[in-house]
Amino acid sequence: MRVILKTRPRAKPKIPIEAETIIPQNFLRKNDIRVYEGNKERKLEDLFYVTTEGPAVSPDQVEVILTGDTGVIKRVGEYMNAGRIIVEGDIGMHCGNFMSAGEIIIRGNADSWLGREMRGGVIRCEGDAGHYCAAGYRGEKRGMRGGMVEVLGNAGDFAAEYLSGGEVHIHGNCADLPGVEMRGGTLTIGGDCLRPCGNMTGGTCRIFGTAHQFLPTFRRNGSEVAEYGGKRYRMAVYRGDIANRGKGTVLIRE
Amino acid sequence: MTGLLVKNAYVIDPLSGVNGEIMDIAIRDGKIVEEVGSGAVVIDAGGCLTLPGGIDSHSHVCGTKVNFGRYMSPEDMRAGRTARKGVMHVTSGYSVPTTFGNSYRYSSMGYTTVLEGAMAPLEARHTHEEFTATPHQDMLANTLFDGNWSIMEAVRDKDVKRAAAVVAWTLAAVKGFAIKLTNPGGTEAWGWGEDVHSIRDEVPHFGVTPAEIIETMIQANELLNLPHSVHIHCNNLGVPGNYQTTLDTIGLAPDLNRERQSLYLTHVQFHSYGGSTWKDICSKSEEVARAVNARPQVAIDMGQIMFGRTTTMTADGPMEFKLYMLHHNKWSNHDVELETGSGIIPVYYSRKSLVNCVMWAIGLELALLTKNPWQCMLATDNPNGAPFVKYPEIIALLMSRKLREYEMKAIDPRTEHFVPLFAIDRELDWYEIAVMTRAAQAKALGITRIGKGHLAPGAEADIAIYPLKPDELDPAVDYQQVMAGFAKTSYTIKRGRVVARDGEVIVEGANSTIWTRAEVPPEFDLNKDPEFVKKFEQYYTVRMRNYPVQDIYLPRGVSIRTEASL
Repeated sequence: MRVILKTRPRAKPKIPIEAETIIPQNFLRKNDIRVYEGNKERKLEDLFYVTTEGPAVSPDQVEVILTGDTGVIKRVGEYMNAGRIIVEGDIGMHCGNFMSAGEIIIRGNADSWLGREMRGGVIRCEGDAGHYCAAGYRGEKRGMRGGMVEVLGNAGDFAAEYLSGGEVHIHGNCADLPGVEMRGGTLTIGGDCLRPCGNMTGGTCRIFGTAHQFLPTFRRNGSEVAEYGGKRYRMAVYRGDIANRGKGTVLIRE
Repeated sequence: MTGLLVKNAYVIDPLSGVNGEIMDIAIRDGKIVEEVGSGAVVIDAGGCLTLPGGIDSHSHVCGTKVNFGRYMSPEDMRAGRTARKGVMHVTSGYSVPTTFGNSYRYSSMGYTTVLEGAMAPLEARHTHEEFTATPHQDMLANTLFDGNWSIMEAVRDKDVKRAAAVVAWTLAAVKGFAIKLTNPGGTEAWGWGEDVHSIRDEVPHFGVTPAEIIETMIQANELLNLPHSVHIHCNNLGVPGNYQTTLDTIGLAPDLNRERQSLYLTHVQFHSYGGSTWKDICSKSEEVARAVNARPQVAIDMGQIMFGRTTTMTADGPMEFKLYMLHHNKWSNHDVELETGSGIIPVYYSRKSLVNCVMWAIGLELALLTKNPWQCMLATDNPNGAPFVKYPEIIALLMSRKLREYEMKAIDPRTEHFVPLFAIDRELDWYEIAVMTRAAQAKALGITRIGKGHLAPGAEADIAIYPLKPDELDPAVDYQQVMAGFAKTSYTIKRGRVVARDGEVIVEGANSTIWTRAEVPPEFDLNKDPEFVKKFEQYYTVRMRNYPVQDIYLPRGVSIRTEASL
């Protein structure tokens, strides 16, 4: 089944739409799906042109395509556990929160908190991601726990904060403090970053650009070769964060 | 005013001695009256269960720690959202909802009076502001004295009258209702990074013990003739083996009041653990219930936990730190100068956790093993054990052994080796539930005299009509209907006005805040006491004249005046 949701013109297009109900399993059941426009509860049809093509017998067979002014839509794919969502543009905050399975593809940029506390599944963002990409909620000590988040562009501050499992791959640069408080999982940064991996206790972070202001609380532990983008690079290996008795591994291109 | 007439009601009103009679209830000017004229609006209850409005005698719904619980768990605020509808505000939150969310949910369950379990005196303004925004329940505030420096100095000096004077001044200043002791001495010790581990341990730097604080405050409470007794959260909450502390505390309670208990122990489930570690924790509900059964001067509430996500919040700072050391997740810790403290941690009670299963069983056991329902009230210590919206489920568990058996199959199978619940056959009846959800609370809080908790002429017309027909239902079997019925009233009537119908709030509320003013002789008026004034000048960050809560914070304040016997 393919469900195409195209945003309708709105009198106040800047008012965000909160749409955690846009997940494949909800379309399978043909529920009366409602979303919030600001503090007003609306029927999905009031804000979107809805087109449905083909049948489905399980959520795995449901593909939701979002088009139009999608950058103001928040929480798409929250608690998603099957199927696929394709966003043909930008997406608002909190996309893929707590997602446990399925796939989200974003053709544009993603706002902050992409894949926050994700448990499984795949998110692929073809543009840039905002702050706290694949991180934990405020105060939560375990962030993303499984699955994969791939960002082809850059990411903002605190990418993969509290990462506990799964894989995060930022092809471009990361801003301040990527991988802080990491406890497990793998973070790969294709470009540069600032102050990575503070307080890290576990997991692996690979940085193929320059790690600016890398903390002195990591201990050099030899070198190794890593492959990235079809090329092989010699990487400096660090262990830490010693200040936190951490046993994480950071590999930085030499 | 034309009045209101509820016809054909199946009334259970334990305080008036009514048990299952089909009656009409006449209401005029917000009060129950003998009769109303023919022009009265008529509600046909159709033989449905009709009870006095529910009273929650221990719940955390308003105040600084509650609000902190809201903003430290933004994910909780995503749950339970309802849109603005009619007179109803937008609400959100599950375990710690917005104030209007609390009010509407209580109202749809037929609750019309709620006691906030712990108000820090210094932060009372915030509590009262949130009371005003909880419009459908009359509110009361337990006021924390557990770590109050002036109280502990009076205890050290063995000066009960001075302790009473401090209580009288503070209750009047912060518009509080009753004395609350949370981990007496322990919260102050926590300010120094320590705790007390029995009621005979000395509180660091003050030279007093929890037992001395408790005994002095019980006597001070009775000297002031306060409506409620001392309301205590015992030391060692949540610690395996803590039942001994609970028994010791119960043993301190003298029988000083003929109308109500002399000591109210709250959330006793959290204080009824045997064993010495989390690995061998077991239920000691039988010992605790036996002690309660033997002492009519003691009343308790269950502190039932229910499985699922919730938020723990208490003035017991050291206990929350211990919980933090177990979870290593979000934690808030707070000190209130010269008075008390608090801590907050979100938790998840799991059926897969043996400890959680034992806790779940203990709460039910306390209710089932306490012979006199007037001595054991239904509460979850909302939201610590579970959000109050779980009350209907707890009622059904108490009324149906079949439901308990069904639940016991879903929990950790090892549980039966650690608890006696599997061997308890008792099923509570409608009358006992009516006692445990409103009548006993009214009696324990001492608010029957202002018309709460009963339906006799002159009482406040707070009434809950549930879509349940006791003559046609067997709660032991039809527990699903019991749960659904107690979750949504057909009508909730507050002070003579229908405020909720079929679970939906239909009018704006106008609640009252009930507080206590104990009149003391001039020599015990602390406003001019040099030592008391000096405490503000030397230690408090607020001036004494700025400390009292102004009347503007209580738009509909109702004070209960008492004459102190000092």
